[in-house]
Amino acid sequence: MKTTFTLLFLFFFCSGSIYAQNFEYGKFTKEELDMKIYANDSTADAVVLREFGSANIDLDNYTNESYVNFVYHTRIKILTKNGFNAANFVIERYIYDKKQDEISEIVATTYNYTDGYPKPTILPITQVFTEQKTRYLNLTKFTLPNLRPGSIIEISYRLRVNNIFNFKSWQFQDNIPKITSTYISSLPAIYNYNISLRGAQKLTSQKTELVRDCISIAGNKCDCSRSIYTMDNIPAFKEEDYMTAASNFKSAISFELQDVRHFSGGTTNYTKNWRDVDNELTSSREFGSQMKRTDLFTAQLPVILQNATDPLSKAKAVYAYIKKQIKWNHYLGKYSEFQIKKALETHSGNVGDINLALIAALSAAGIETEAVILSTRANGLVNSLYPVITDFDYVIAKVNIGDKSYLLDATEPLLPFGLLPLRCINGKGRVVNLKKPSYWFDLLASEKELTRSNLVASLSPDGKITGTLTTYSKGYAALERRQKIAAAGSADNYVQSLAERLTNIKVGNYKIDNIDSLDEYLIETYEVTMNSFDKPGLDKFFYNPYFLDRTTKNPFNLNERNYPVDLGAGVDRRVSITLTLPADYVFAEVPKNSAVGLPGNGGRYQTSATIDKNELTFSSLFTLNKPVYQPDEYLFLKALYSQVIQQQKTDLVLQKVK
Amino acid sequence: MFKKTLFLLFVGLLHQYNVHAQPGYKASEIPTPLLVRASAVIRNMETNVDMVATDQVIIRIRKTVTILNKNGEDMAGLVLSYNKSRTIKAVKGSVYDADGLLIKKITLSDFEDASAASDFSLYEDERIKHFTPSVNSYPYTVFYEYELRLKQNLVIPDWYANPYTDVAVQKSSYTFSCKTGEKLRMKAYNYAGKPLESSTPGMISYTWDVVNLPALKAEPYMSSGDNFLTYVKVAAENFSYYNTKGTYADWEGLGKWIYNDLIKSRQQLSPATIAEVRELVNGIDDPKEKARKIYQYVQDKTRYVSVQIGIGGYQPISAENVHYLGYGDCKGLVNYTQALLKAAGIPSLYCIVYAGSFKQNLDPEFASMNQANHIILCVPFEKDTTWLECTSQVTPFGYLGDFTDDRTVLACTESGGKLLHTPVLTAEMNSIKRRAQLTVDMQGNITGQMKTIFAGSNYDNDEELLTKPYADQLNLLKDIYDIDNINFEQLKIAQNKGSAWPLTTETCNITIPNYMVQSGNLSYLQLNIFNKTRSIPDLKERKLELYLNRGYSYEDELTFALPENLKIEYQPQNINMETVFGDYHALITFKDHTLIYKRILTGKTGKFPPKAYAEFADFINKAYIADQNKIVLTLASSKK
Repeated sequence: MKTTFTLLFLFFFCSGSIYAQNFEYGKFTKEELDMKIYANDSTADAVVLREFGSANIDLDNYTNESYVNFVYHTRIKILTKNGFNAANFVIERYIYDKKQDEISEIVATTYNYTDGYPKPTILPITQVFTEQKTRYLNLTKFTLPNLRPGSIIEISYRLRVNNIFNFKSWQFQDNIPKITSTYISSLPAIYNYNISLRGAQKLTSQKTELVRDCISIAGNKCDCSRSIYTMDNIPAFKEEDYMTAASNFKSAISFELQDVRHFSGGTTNYTKNWRDVDNELTSSREFGSQMKRTDLFTAQLPVILQNATDPLSKAKAVYAYIKKQIKWNHYLGKYSEFQIKKALETHSGNVGDINLALIAALSAAGIETEAVILSTRANGLVNSLYPVITDFDYVIAKVNIGDKSYLLDATEPLLPFGLLPLRCINGKGRVVNLKKPSYWFDLLASEKELTRSNLVASLSPDGKITGTLTTYSKGYAALERRQKIAAAGSADNYVQSLAERLTNIKVGNYKIDNIDSLDEYLIETYEVTMNSFDKPGLDKFFYNPYFLDRTTKNPFNLNERNYPVDLGAGVDRRVSITLTLPADYVFAEVPKNSAVGLPGNGGRYQTSATIDKNELTFSSLFTLNKPVYQPDEYLFLKALYSQVIQQQKTDLVLQKVK
Repeated sequence: MFKKTLFLLFVGLLHQYNVHAQPGYKASEIPTPLLVRASAVIRNMETNVDMVATDQVIIRIRKTVTILNKNGEDMAGLVLSYNKSRTIKAVKGSVYDADGLLIKKITLSDFEDASAASDFSLYEDERIKHFTPSVNSYPYTVFYEYELRLKQNLVIPDWYANPYTDVAVQKSSYTFSCKTGEKLRMKAYNYAGKPLESSTPGMISYTWDVVNLPALKAEPYMSSGDNFLTYVKVAAENFSYYNTKGTYADWEGLGKWIYNDLIKSRQQLSPATIAEVRELVNGIDDPKEKARKIYQYVQDKTRYVSVQIGIGGYQPISAENVHYLGYGDCKGLVNYTQALLKAAGIPSLYCIVYAGSFKQNLDPEFASMNQANHIILCVPFEKDTTWLECTSQVTPFGYLGDFTDDRTVLACTESGGKLLHTPVLTAEMNSIKRRAQLTVDMQGNITGQMKTIFAGSNYDNDEELLTKPYADQLNLLKDIYDIDNINFEQLKIAQNKGSAWPLTTETCNITIPNYMVQSGNLSYLQLNIFNKTRSIPDLKERKLELYLNRGYSYEDELTFALPENLKIEYQPQNINMETVFGDYHALITFKDHTLIYKRILTGKTGKFPPKAYAEFADFINKAYIADQNKIVLTLASSKK
């Protein structure tokens, strides 16, 4: 679970400096050399023996610009061949305003304990590579030489980070365990940072001291607050299926610049409280100014709204219009990348362009619309205690009509009105209004993943079932099917490949309704023929009604769970079968009607079968009502799926009435 | 904060372009037959390759593509790769709507730059520039015109008339030009007729062209595209590559150049390393045992790390460097192993191969540099020939597995290249044999022991498991066997690497709560638990040859001890299917409350005409259904 809290700045005036310093390179203890297995985690393939980092703000003598001076040093014991991956290093160097973070003093050595001493193999600098990953990111990559199980590897480097806004975050927890990790941050008193610690692990110690005259800025001496964070015995982080961003759970410390006080007396606020953020956003050229561009739509509005009368149908018309006008370039962002005017002209834009254009267009149509900034699931949860504006990587529209509100994202052409893509279903978003203060709003899926399948068919004496299968889908189920139809190129192709995958079922004529009416049920109707059983003769036979969406895999097959199961949206699947039999039948064995539920109405699986003369009716229902299940509910989920799998193995046994 | 900056402003407003629709861009002009199964249509594509000199090859391409639906989007963009010896000289383009009216002009500044390094590489110097247009309604048409310059002619890209699936081609042509008298080898595959020759003073050109190729749909179990696609390979006898020059006319010449110019100088070892190798094999007489020892040494010392820069794409880093770093890519590790073997007096062959589970041969009749993607080592001994995969730290000595089995490779030697064929893995060899003794109780719980032996291409099935800690192995195994509620205990994975025929033996205890399901008086027991066939699509029409890449044989024998008071209510019939594609047997014997289920599935290799697919799908899908079979049991005391 996430534990975010603010670390208070307490200044301890110590008589001397707190003891915490970088450890000596290449000098090992006997335990480190002799270690064959990590006692706290015998399964570890590698373990960080010691890790040390320090970061302070410094001034460039030539440009007079401040930067973060970061020193990193780690020592890792490789225990098995599988631990060799721990020797691959990728250091991110960002590029801001054409200036990139600079790396220097890279030292990387492998020590192998042979002939009674740790023999070093130094990584030649020619084996350190720089890859230009994107316009904003360079990667420095290397791997350690001469590795074998038992090697100790040691790496250190200095990094100059040009953007001081996020100072330098520190990740305590990683995919391999760490014995100890220490981070020292040294912040000049004039720089005020918000500091947050995330993750389940607790700091072993945290100390802060005041360092007098640590930096000289424009001739003025300034004190620093020097904080030392230490975490010991950090377990390896293990990722699980159905979880949101790993960064929500890995223990780490991060910073965001709040304000800078100048010696001249003034203060520059970077982030202070939501009121400041509101002002910043609403006056930003890439945000608020774009929301206000209602003028771009005035000419088009009469055409867009020609068939719309009430506010809801107007909102729907505008939503459909924007989806058609701007194609998503697959870049995220809460800010407009190109300005919405340009995005409308080129028909291309990032999330900011599209949804800020949507907000402007809706406002132009006279519909009360606000912006909601949020963090996508892959990006992690936002800090809810105070604004960390860099946490947000997405913007959507919130439309208020009467007492109802709708969350809209126009990046996915096939989304129905009011449904967000799953990537946006992540905790809370912050609603930004041009006139009123911002507030939090829950980001929930407005619809479940919903399907209803009805088979109306008859069984002929030779064992063939012929009938009509109709499937209604809505929410994420309809979205997925519409995306498949679009990807197939045509409904014909979609049905053909569907038919090809259905073993034992032949598909004849079909009809798909509402492919383009996104707010309606997608209705698929198929004429189907299938074989019912393999035993000829109809006096007594076994019929298995689970011909659709048979569950063979239990997605929750493990015996324990550490983190919540986050599905994003609930599930609701129902099947009903009405089968006309060639004569009157009864059940030879009374079928077991399954009915199991999750605690707290979390979900349900239910089946029932009845027979009345020559008509067999069968129905099944499977629901998951919650988007998120806690770790202690995992075994219930597992049992629910297990019940489905077991039930689907059973047949209905029918006997002819003599 | 991470805002993309736009380098160039799009000039003008949209309507300024909308002057006249230009012919060739209108979607309605596409002949109807080409629309069948197509998501995009290449309207016209002209590929001109001009080999001005050995170190200057100019590639000029003009192409017009109409995108019919979302599935064709991949064809709308353009991705151009470049590196030190391949530069993008010029690129421009335009986008047209359905009626052929201009919507947008494209210039180089619209392209985004990115690294083209593959995920498995630490570093590659290959980069790309890419562009994707933004059009929200279909159909629309894109036109591109670009020029690439190669500073080498060792690798002249092959021309494919239509390498894509779901894409039709209205017209496409390839012209290769060079100075008269330049020695060339050319080969057109699956192309009827001869290239059109034309010449101007001092220059000669060859042109291949195709018209109206319908869209091809990817089909399951199809053979390699090289068997049915139209493509042309061109190789120049005299070539430049980075700072080297050379000549080859066949595999013999190419293999010779590779060895003498790329490898030979990389094989030196320091006297200390040579002494270390000799010490290592000291006292061993049998050359094969020496080689085994050295291979083990390489596996313990090195690991695979891929770094590809410039000529380093073809030339290994030096053996002594690998010795120091303890890592290298396939070339580097093979070259290093070869150097070590040489130090111990054992000759071996550096072999280039196209690796992958899907078998692909070098064309014996046409030598060229771009037919392989991997290097392995061949060690000929007096009685047998041993093949070594040098990038793995765990592969048994002499085992190639399904990554490089059964295919034509080129051995590069000082005296010349030689084509060899790697060993075949037969269906009998690629076996999985399983025995399980299981007890079923009245609640339907199963407990028991299972032993599975993997061989041939299946030898390394558990390899990923072995890279994980024990607790993760158990979890992963749950995923592999994918049986509801199953739990594994006492898992042991033993690999017998030393023998001529390596085997992996997996033994474990299993429990499966509630496996047999009760409903009223009936209990349902699905017989095949561990190795179930998946169904395959039942195609309406099959266009391509059916190709079965590799044979296999699976044998499962499950013994169920059933509760004494249960008797069989319904038992599926025994199944015996024998076909040209493979055999399936499922046999049930029941005696003294013990049920033995034996299931055998073998798959053969081969090529079959398209219409055979229906029979093949029928065979596999019957096996799929038979694998779901269950017996129904009832209480012996209950009276009907």
